[in-house]
Amino acid sequence: MRFENRTPDESVNYGIEHPLKEFAWLLGGVLGGLFILSLLLGYFAGELAARLPYRYEKNLAAEFGFRSGNGQPDAQAAAIERSLNRLAARLVPHMALPDDMRITVHYDDSPVVNAYATLGGNVVIFKGLLAGMPDENTLAMVLAHEIAHARLRHPVRSLGRGVAFAIVLSAINAGMGHSVASNVLGNAGGLTLLKYSRDQESDADAEALAAVVAAYRHAGGSSEIFQVLEHAAGSEPGRVTMLSTHPLSQDRIDAVAELAKQRGWALDGPRTPLDAVLAGVHADEKPH
Amino acid sequence: MELVFQNLDLFLFLFLLALGFSIGRILELRHYRSIRQREQSLADILAFTNRFPPNPVDRHDVRLVSGAVVISSDYFKQFVAGLRNLVGGRFRGYETLLDRARREAILRMKEDAKRAGYSMIVNVKIENTSISGGRAGTMPSFELLAYGTAIRPARSA
Repeated sequence: MRFENRTPDESVNYGIEHPLKEFAWLLGGVLGGLFILSLLLGYFAGELAARLPYRYEKNLAAEFGFRSGNGQPDAQAAAIERSLNRLAARLVPHMALPDDMRITVHYDDSPVVNAYATLGGNVVIFKGLLAGMPDENTLAMVLAHEIAHARLRHPVRSLGRGVAFAIVLSAINAGMGHSVASNVLGNAGGLTLLKYSRDQESDADAEALAAVVAAYRHAGGSSEIFQVLEHAAGSEPGRVTMLSTHPLSQDRIDAVAELAKQRGWALDGPRTPLDAVLAGVHADEKPH
Repeated sequence: MELVFQNLDLFLFLFLLALGFSIGRILELRHYRSIRQREQSLADILAFTNRFPPNPVDRHDVRLVSGAVVISSDYFKQFVAGLRNLVGGRFRGYETLLDRARREAILRMKEDAKRAGYSMIVNVKIENTSISGGRAGTMPSFELLAYGTAIRPARSA
């Protein structure tokens, strides 16, 4: 009898498929699945967070060590903060805030052109933005917009979404999830990374416009804010971070104008000048 | 350039992935060519899993022969296997890796037998040992050992 060791049939024990094909399918499938999962989880986490009682949100803000400004507030900054809070107090009665919600406006004397609302009804306005304000009506529109974010619970929704997203990421890579989570939960209490969707922005625009009209009897200043931002962006794009957190679009300007027209609000009227303290804020000399 | 430094982690990962894939692929194709060629040239050394030779002889010389291979995964295969862990299915990258290792171990065992002047091996077995110990975060690496009893008709009367 003759024996032989035949050569193995290479189609049995392993596939002849190109490894990149498998790689593409796997990567596409897994990333697609994670994308859908994070959208779903993010949506539900956001909705859940918005139903969180407000006092918990205040505790959260305290826990993350929210603080504004950079260092010791000087007398001038304190005066500016008082003026800003006075203006906010003028707007708040027109915005139907929940009973236990208190709006606190903070002033940050860095040259960034930005303003944001964060947990616990805290609103921060930067010197860069304040210096470009032509009158009180425009500033009121900015403040009312940020207060509207707080009223609509956008900061805590955004936080909930971010945390859910971080959890999904940590399922694949613990390190990556951790870095996203610590970004979302705010490095050093800034909480500036909370991002709002386009719909949230236009909801806040609409509420802000209604409040400004109620306070000043006309919608003047509501569209100037976009011009102020554009002007600042033209001179020094890097500083105008507001455009990245509040994307500028013609749609938003048009929507504001359209809303004013629908409700029969006056598009403009007598402007209120800024008070002496706020008018005294000027942009820094450019560093050489 | 600034973009590269800011996302160094990501670029390093992509670089390692591309390196793992390209070098791993070249080596694998080259290895398969070598395996097929040596399987032809060692076809006269017969290996059986039976404990006794198919044509029993009265007196024969015996000798233990063995062939060992240590294999390790590459970055690309490991990444794909990581994705596989989520969805299940055939670990194709590891299938070729282990197939190469088994065939290489048998070839080395046959070469061992041939050098000693034997042309038949019975009772062939394959053992494997995990070197990485399956700990998380370590590159999977294994030793595959093929061994058997080489026999030939007794030369000394």
